Amino acid sequence: MRKVWLVFKREYLTRVRTRAFVFSTLLVPALLVGYVVLIIAVTKRSADTTLKIVLVDESGVLAPAISANLKEKLQNGEPAVQVVESLEKPDERMRADLRARVLSGKLGGYLVVPQDVLAGKSAEFYTKNPGDLTRLQPLRRAVGEAVVSRRLNERGIHIDDLAKVTEWVDIRVAKVTLKGTSEESRQTLILGFVVALLLYGTLIFYGVSTMRSVLEEKTSHIVEILVSSLRPVQLLAGKILGVAAVGFTQFMIWAVSAALLSTYGISMASAMSPGSASSPIHIPLSLLAYMVIFFLAGYFLYSALYSTIGAIASTDQDAQQLQIPVILPLVLSLFFLNVVLRDSNSTASVILSMIPFFSPILMIFRLTLETPPLWQIALSLGLLIATTLGIVWFTARIYRVGILMYGKRPSLVEVFRWLRYS
Amino acid sequence: MQSRQAGYFGQTTECTRRVGRTAAEFAMDAIIVDQITKRFDSFEAVSNLTFSIEQGAVFGLLGPNGAGKTTTLRMLLRILLPDQGSIRVLGEPASGNTQDRMGYLPEERGLYPKMQVRQVLAFLGALKGLTEAEAARRADEWLERLELSPWATKKVNDLSKGMQQKAQFIAAVLHRPPLLILDEPFAGLDPVNAALIKDIMLELRQQGSTIILSTHRMEQVEMMCDSICLIDQGRKVLDGELRAIKKSFGKNTVRIEFTGNDDFLNLPAVIANVNRHGAVVEAKLRPGADAQEILRAAVARGVEISRFELVEPPLNDIFIEKVGHA
Repeated sequence: MRKVWLVFKREYLTRVRTRAFVFSTLLVPALLVGYVVLIIAVTKRSADTTLKIVLVDESGVLAPAISANLKEKLQNGEPAVQVVESLEKPDERMRADLRARVLSGKLGGYLVVPQDVLAGKSAEFYTKNPGDLTRLQPLRRAVGEAVVSRRLNERGIHIDDLAKVTEWVDIRVAKVTLKGTSEESRQTLILGFVVALLLYGTLIFYGVSTMRSVLEEKTSHIVEILVSSLRPVQLLAGKILGVAAVGFTQFMIWAVSAALLSTYGISMASAMSPGSASSPIHIPLSLLAYMVIFFLAGYFLYSALYSTIGAIASTDQDAQQLQIPVILPLVLSLFFLNVVLRDSNSTASVILSMIPFFSPILMIFRLTLETPPLWQIALSLGLLIATTLGIVWFTARIYRVGILMYGKRPSLVEVFRWLRYS
Repeated sequence: MQSRQAGYFGQTTECTRRVGRTAAEFAMDAIIVDQITKRFDSFEAVSNLTFSIEQGAVFGLLGPNGAGKTTTLRMLLRILLPDQGSIRVLGEPASGNTQDRMGYLPEERGLYPKMQVRQVLAFLGALKGLTEAEAARRADEWLERLELSPWATKKVNDLSKGMQQKAQFIAAVLHRPPLLILDEPFAGLDPVNAALIKDIMLELRQQGSTIILSTHRMEQVEMMCDSICLIDQGRKVLDGELRAIKKSFGKNTVRIEFTGNDDFLNLPAVIANVNRHGAVVEAKLRPGADAQEILRAAVARGVEISRFELVEPPLNDIFIEKVGHA
């Protein structure tokens, strides 16, 4: 046990002290914070200024209605869009002048409403920033409403409040659980996908780290001294746990900064538009517990497989090729998310979430969507743990032989023969 | 012929050993290897190998490339487990426990390239059962002694090959093991550093350590080893005390130092083969031949002889005779 601890400690400390670790740990949240701050700053800045436009109404009848429809206000009470001038039939010189004013920035843009707009021809908006879609939204609505109400008028229908008549009806989706219904289906769906992708990334990233660590000891030949001092299975255990602890440290740092960030982000959002802030994602404790258990079992399964690859390979290129069969079930898990999403209780979903190589991702995904029967969770977890133990046993034997074998990459048949050497 | 002689030497060893030694001493052999066999698929790397090593001895494990030396050493260290047979180390069956009392310098050298020299050594020492503080303290002492102190906090990668070699040697001796296994300890060292390592080996032996040396350099074996075991294709060819082995071959070699033409060595009836080392020539006599005939031939041709000595064959010749398959 002391030797496992020594290996664990070395693995952890040498990794945590590397520049790569410090950078990736600090850089990811820093980039995230920077990104959020940037977006808030940009949207705030552009949302603070009124979009000043010139309205060129070739139809000659819509200008007053359009101006009247531009009711949206900014946070500071100023109108979002303001018509500073209305023209009917500008000549070439006036159009050139408009273009110059847009280019110089004195004018946000000019809107051309063609003569036969009522027959369905598009209006045109000329601006320097055609990508700023949010700011164009009020304009688009104002023109649309003006045209529609004009058409209705021509047919003898008078409507005072178009917006009310044409209001959409949304369908709220509620999730039925054992404890009644809740209304967080979209949130849980997003949560499910985020967790699945996070698991996928983590299993691969730390699996590859473990593999590289095994390979490094092999290529640097130090492994022969190591196994003359402790049992290979102790070395393997210390290594897998050490890399896992590095990942855990990184996640904790990220989780804390994410928590701080979301608190800040939410207060920021609610300051900008009161009442619009979404409530923080609510994760039931039992779900969290299941997630952790499935994740840990899956983590050990895959890092054991990855360390086998490190032990079999002699070079990075070997390792790259040998990785494919290990990555395959992970990639397939992502494919099968769709099957589970369509009906998380279908036979296919139930079976897929039982298969040990898929269950770390698929069962957790199912758990976020619904609460499967307890026997299914138990069976899936039982199979996963049994497989993990089997793989660890298998790995320990392959590892013992593989770390001392150099040169040609062995065939699968040869690898199975190694089981008998140790 | 070969197998008969192997058996013969095996017996000699047993006899010379038992003379003047009590049963207790005999039980304290540092290593007892009893009929071990190791197979990799159909290939038998080590076949039914038996030998023992007296405590405090310097023991040479010799053999041509691919003879099974490394596999044997790995089994002693319990890196590999024998398919058959048993190994006793320092009076108990080989186990994780005995590993801690052995130091190992493998032929393929290597330390963590990106770790500090001192940290690697402290880690390896701790793995052998020292406390981390004690391992670090001893690492400093040894680094000082091997003139590596300025490099203690450098990364292993920044060291020259020779320096890495010395650092690796420290890793083998740091925990002061009663049993030290060195595979080609002098490879890649300049004469000054080789002498430094040799002195330390002899000093450790003085302090009671048993040393197993595996090397292809026969002159080193002749200088340092008390007893040897020669293996070929996984089987023992010869073992026993070095002096007894050489003696058994008899003084069948003439060492001649001379100036002039070496035509006089062309005596097929007397000389079986000749080894030329520049000014010195070693001529192996045919069984029953008279060495004086060589001297007479030299005088007759007017060659000036400065040295003419009847000696036991060098270990190099014994090695070639026993395992030279050509």
